Order: sequence, then C-alpha cells, then structure tokens
Amino acid sequence: MPRVVFVGLASCFGCQINITNAEAHLVDVLGQIDLRYWQLTHSEPMPEEFDVAVVEGAVTTEEAVSTLLEVRRRASAVITIGACAATAGIPGMAAEGYLTRPVQVYGEHVPEACGTMCAPRPVSSVIDVDFEVACCPVDPLEFVRVLQQVLYGSNSFRRSSTLCGECKRNERGCFYGRETLCLGMVTRSGCGARCPNLGRPCNGCAGLSPDANVPAARRVCERSGVPVARFDEALEMFNQTNPAISA
Amino acid sequence: MLYRVIDASELPSLVSAFMETYEVVAPVRSGRSYAFEVIESFDDIVLDYPTTITSLKKYYLPPRETLFEFDKDGNEVRDFEMRVKPRVLFGAHACDINALNCLNSVFEDARYPDPYYEAHKAATMVVGVSCMPSEGCFCHLLDSDEARNGYDLFLQDIGDRYLVSIGSVEAANILEGACSPREATDEDRIAFRQATRRRQAAFNPDIPDIQEIPMLMDAFHSDPFWEELGGRCLSCTACSSVCPTCYCFDICDTLDPDGKSGRRERVWDACTSPQFAQVAGGYNFRADGRNRVRHRMYHKLNGFLSAHDRNLCVGCGRCVYACKADISPIEVLKFFERKGAENA
Amino acid sequence: MVVHPFRDSGAPQTGAEMMRANPYRPWPARITSITELTATEKLFEFRLVDERIRNAFHHEPGQFVEVSIFGVGEAPISITSSPSKSGFIELCVRRAGTFTERLHQMQCGDIVGIRGPYGRPFPFEQMKGHDILLVAGGLGIAPLRSLINNIHDERSEFGRVTIIYGSKNPSEVMFRNQFEMWRHRKDFELYLTVDHPDETWDGEVGLVTKPFEHLEVNASSTYGAVCGPPVMYKFVVEEMRKKGISYDHIYMSFERHMKCGMGKCGHCQIGHQYCCIDGPVFNYWEAKNIQGSM
Repeated sequence: MPRVVFVGLASCFGCQINITNAEAHLVDVLGQIDLRYWQLTHSEPMPEEFDVAVVEGAVTTEEAVSTLLEVRRRASAVITIGACAATAGIPGMAAEGYLTRPVQVYGEHVPEACGTMCAPRPVSSVIDVDFEVACCPVDPLEFVRVLQQVLYGSNSFRRSSTLCGECKRNERGCFYGRETLCLGMVTRSGCGARCPNLGRPCNGCAGLSPDANVPAARRVCERSGVPVARFDEALEMFNQTNPAISA
Repeated sequence: MLYRVIDASELPSLVSAFMETYEVVAPVRSGRSYAFEVIESFDDIVLDYPTTITSLKKYYLPPRETLFEFDKDGNEVRDFEMRVKPRVLFGAHACDINALNCLNSVFEDARYPDPYYEAHKAATMVVGVSCMPSEGCFCHLLDSDEARNGYDLFLQDIGDRYLVSIGSVEAANILEGACSPREATDEDRIAFRQATRRRQAAFNPDIPDIQEIPMLMDAFHSDPFWEELGGRCLSCTACSSVCPTCYCFDICDTLDPDGKSGRRERVWDACTSPQFAQVAGGYNFRADGRNRVRHRMYHKLNGFLSAHDRNLCVGCGRCVYACKADISPIEVLKFFERKGAENA
Repeated sequence: MVVHPFRDSGAPQTGAEMMRANPYRPWPARITSITELTATEKLFEFRLVDERIRNAFHHEPGQFVEVSIFGVGEAPISITSSPSKSGFIELCVRRAGTFTERLHQMQCGDIVGIRGPYGRPFPFEQMKGHDILLVAGGLGIAPLRSLINNIHDERSEFGRVTIIYGSKNPSEVMFRNQFEMWRHRKDFELYLTVDHPDETWDGEVGLVTKPFEHLEVNASSTYGAVCGPPVMYKFVVEEMRKKGISYDHIYMSFERHMKCGMGKCGHCQIGHQYCCIDGPVFNYWEAKNIQGSM
C-alpha cells in the first residue's frame, strides 16, 4: 500500500480539515493508503520513508524550502492541496514588503518560531509538483479523485479552460451584464462554478489558468463598466506572485 | 403535414394533458434571463421568451452521462441501469429544433447509432413555438428559421389562436383529447403568412447576409483575421456550453471513493478548450486561440455541411450573448462582408 | 423508465450483434504474449475472451482499436498484426503517458477491454496488382506492419514491394528480427535507415527520404503508403510526387486522439474530417483538401 504523508506549510490548515468532510467516504479512502503522517493529527515527527506527499500551504521560510526538497527527494508523487500551495494564495497577498513585516510587528526581537523568512511563493516554485488540487479550500471529493489518480493512474488531461463554460451550464446569467466584477473568465475551471451558482462572483481561488487571456479580460471589463483597476486588484488575492499578472 | 387550429386559451389544458404522463420542460425566467426547466404548472412558462441561456441539447446529451459501470480490479464491465424520463420539451424555437436535427444526424448515424442518445430521444416529445427574432438572431441566414421536421407539434402564433403543425400520432392524440382542434381556414392561412412575413422583416439588418459561406471559410483560412479573433479568446468554452449543436464530448473514467468500482462517463467538451486536440505524449494539434477558434467556426460553417448537408450553426445567437470577448459567427459574417467590400 | 444499455436480450446473438448493441462497450481481452521491442516499445498480443466476439472481430490493415484499462481510461491504438492471421490482435505500444505506462506494467494473463476495430483502412484490394512503396518513420511502423505482413501473406498478388523504415537510433528499430530475415529475400526491397548510427549498424544512414535518391519507381503502377511522425509526411509525399506517383495513389495514416472512434466525440477532427471514421488513412488528394492536415 502506498505510504502517504500530509505536510502543512504556511496556511490555515483548512484544506486538511476539509478533507475530513468527506466523512462517509473517509474510511474507504484510508483503506487504500498507508497513512504514515498527517500533520494535523500527528505529534510524532514525519517519518523518513513514504511514497506520496500531500502538501498544504505556501512557502514562506527557508525551513519550508528544505522540507520540500527533502519531500521531493523521497516521494514518488507530490500533490499540493489548496490555493496557498498552488499560488502562494493568502500568504502571497503579503509578498510585497514581506521581509520587513516581522520587525514591524515584533520590533528587534523577532521570535525564533518565525523561522528564516523568505518571500511567499507557491510550492511549484521550489519543487516539481505532480498533481494539484485547486481552490480555497479544496473540495474533499476532488482531493479523493486526485489521490486516486496518483494511486491508480488516469489518462485524463487536466483542463486549463476558464470558468465561464462551467458557469453557463448552471444557467445563472453573467455578472458582467450587471456591471459586477467576477474573476471567472481568467480562473481555472474544475469547481463547477460553485460560487456564481450561489450568487457570488468568482474570487479566483482556483488560480489563474495557464491559458488565461488577461489582456482580453481587461478589455471585457472596460466594455462592461467594471474598472480594470478593480479587476487587477481582485486578481491579487490569489495570484499576487504569478508573473503573468504583472505582464 | 397535418394542420389544425386551436385557441390560445386552450394552451393550459394542452400543457396539463402533457403533464399527466410526461415531465414537461419549458422556458422559464432565470434571473434576468431564461432557461429550460421542468415546470410545475402552465403559469411558470414564459412562452414569448427571446432565448434561453443554454439549449435543449442537455436533454438528449446530458453534460455528464454514465456509459457504464465497471469493476476496476476484475477489469470488467458491469450491467447498468439508465434512467430515462418520458419528457415533453415545450416551447422550442425553430432554430433549436433544427439544432436537435443536427444532433440526430450525428448520433443516429447508421453505422454507429448511439444507444444512450437514442434512449433519451425515444422518450422525448418536442413541441415547438413560433418566435420573433431578437437582436442576436440570424437563423434566417442559415436556413434554420423554419422547422420542417423534428417536432411532434409546432405552434404558430396567429393572433389569438395557433396554427398547429402535427408531426406525430402520439401528439395528435393528446391534442385531440385536450383541445378542440379545428380545420384551418383561408383566414388562418392568411394570418400565418402575415405572421411569417412579420418575422422575416424583423431580423437585425446589421447582420450581413453572406452567400457561399463554406467557400469563403476555405478561401480565407489563412487570413490574419483569425489571429485577431482567436487572439481574444478567453478559453472559457462558454460558446460550446450554450451552443445547441456543439456535441463534442470527452470520455473519462471516474472511480468511486472506495477505489474498487467506477463509471465510464462522457462529459461535454469543447474544441475551444486548450487541451482538446492534445494527444498522449503532450503534442497539441491546435495549441493556440487562433487555431481553436478557427476550427470551431470552420466546423460550424463549413465542415459539418460537407458531411451532413446542413450547417452546424443554426443562428440562435446564444454564443453572441455568452462570449464576453465578442467572438461569434456574426463576427465571421461581418469579416466576409468587409472582405467583399475590399475586393469590390 | 429504465433502460439497460448493456443487458443481452436473452436471445442467442452473434458477436456482431453483441458489439453493435452498444458500441461503447469494451469486451474483455486477455494478454497472451508480451515482447519487448525496444526500451520504450512493447508488442502485446491479445485474445478476445468471448468466442463470439473473437469470431466476429475482423480488421483490415490501418485500422485501430480502443483499449480500456478500467479506472485509467481508454486509448486508441493501431493494430499491427495482419488480418490474414485471425484469433488474436497485436498492438505495438510506446510508453508515452499514464495509460501506456500502465499497459507496460501488465503481465500475460491480465485482462483489458477492447472495442473496435475502427477507421478506414489502407485500400488493400485496390492495391493488389500494383507495386507497393511503404515508408515508415519511428512508431509509424506499427500500422504499416499490418499492411506489410498482409502483403507478405498474399505476396503473389503484388508487384515490386519496397519498404523504407527510418528510426532515430539503431536501438529504436522495431521488429528487427523480422526485417533482418527479410534482408536477403528477393521479393522485398528493404531499406532500414537511422539518423544516428552506432558501430553495430550496417544499414543505411540518413532520413527516410534518403533512399529515394537512387530508387526507381514505376509511377503509373505504384501505390505509396506512409506513416510516421507529423513532420515526416510533407517530405515523404513530396518525394513520392517527384517520382510521379499519382496523388490518389499515395496513402498516409494520421495520428490524432480518437476518443470514441465513431465520429462523434470530435477530438480527432482534422479540418472537416474525423480521423476515426473518414481516416486515419487518407490519400494525398484528400489530405490536401483537409485544412490543417499536414
């Protein structure tokens, strides 16, 4: 049975918690793996031997960098879960001026627990990532699906199409017709356009699609009476460290 | 075709009669737009709706459909039950009926008839209704403003009454039982001609009428226009989600959470999705927006025609509203018109 | 209303009726032999488990099947065995992605699902009575081997048969034993060529177009057949045209991702054609009329 570890970096641990919301299926899922370490529930240190590493959270310290390098050396597959790991997410919002923050907060005596801080960045900027479960937080069943892809293989390609196609299937109409900002047109699909279906615009938690057409999206904003500056600002919540945004 | 006339006041009893044995799907309000949904009563229906966000294809080709279930470890197919609802699609416009006819020619093709599609279709009745064009409609340019077949009933609004074309015995019986259909008179036929002319005169004159579209699609295949049009594609696939004739799908296996069994599913896919033409090993035959958008338009306005003798675009206008980047067949027609002006 | 897209009607059915009842249904096939051809390619022999299906399964050179590993998915793979040998199906599989990786891990006796065969084949009957010029590059040998072996088994029906097979390195040459044996035969003119030779290589060196330099072709009575990587086609068909072979006598097999195999899912479209039902074998005249084919 594949040995699996869960590693938590800078994050709220909400994705790890949300996985437990798979409740009815949790025992079934655990039956397919040898769970060696789950940071959320274990007090022992992480074991040295494992096959699959699941990583939550952004990289914000040199210690996290070494942890990841070690993880990559040992694991045959690395899965990231959640926006923080995939895009630097919420920690990434603070990327600008990040290194001076501890001094602002603590003064001269920055606690050791903070570690050797580095600018927040996604896991993929440090190591190769094999699979990604998107969104903030992750959908527990989506996590199970990706885990199974690692365990058993799948010939499906991950899509890079953006959200509007999925949103249309919910037949809810478009926020842009109501001069309301929504990040669906540049955000990676896969969630089923859950927020727009509940009446809330997409805030981009699945991250910018690698095929996002940001210049075209900005022109849509202009035409639809949504200020481009607001669009750009909204994108920063989950994509602050993505070089495609500043381009 | 058999024609009868019923009073507009008889419609509620026709719908009630359908509801006795069928699930009735009809246009209803959805926010600021309209959608086809299952109705509870005749009053839910907005029969003079302009268009709906998505089309009727979801009832023949569901967005996600199980083809079969399997046992992963034994690598075996399992017997599997498909539930099909006997259904009436009430209030379909002519363009949408023509769109279903396009799907029929793909999924009922003689060599590989599709058992799933056929099961849905066999359980479905289509009741069409006449309409007046809205701003984005161009069905008349693509020979889809009239439905010549593919329906059980078609209701042509001729004032306070409907001229009903009857396409099936089943529907004729229900009509007979629920209403008092009478023979069409000369007066009814005159009213029908007037209604048709009013419709024909009401199309948006800004959408150019282009002859020989398939030939022009070939002639301008390498034009820089496609770079410009495809360059603004958002890769969102909204166009094919709302399109009544986009039938492409992906086939994928989904495991149950226990990892022991699973389902093979077909899921709507779109040629404007970046990975659509990618093959194992990673090579992508249409790697950019230019190639993808051009391919989509080419299939709509040329490719399908050569195989099935009808256009795969019915001019319903849904993509015109759905595409935020302003990519639609109308833009292609306008381009051809500009080219004609340049060459003149 | 409940529909069973899978349940047999109960009445005795022929294999063809069973397959037609649900064309999406894969039929169990057992791996009966695995031969390692190169570091990345293996030759699999499959035998359909149900005798009725096995007897109803007839393919022609150039056709393909859809292979299922349940949970992983399905993949189109061209048949490399000759129709003249029935009862089994040979597939030559390169390890190129997750699916083929999993197939490579399988053992003799393991079960996969197979449905098909699909696609328009090489026009074998039309080709009879003519000279044949076959050009394969890399894995392109897989569908062409079906044609080559079919010609071999009905050798007297054909005129001169010339085979040009190019690989990058000697280590990537597939079916080397078969071709080594044929090198001394008078009835097959064989050119094995590699781009990068090593010390063991005693065949030709250079691209697949190189042997054309000294090749004599009786243009009016020759059929060409080409299969290889996408970049190869343009150059090879040009050489064939230079030799005077008619557009409609040059046949080529295209690679796309045929997901359904039945002209529906759209993934294999090239211009207005579906690679799975209109192809994968097209003649050059048709290919020239397909936008984006080459």
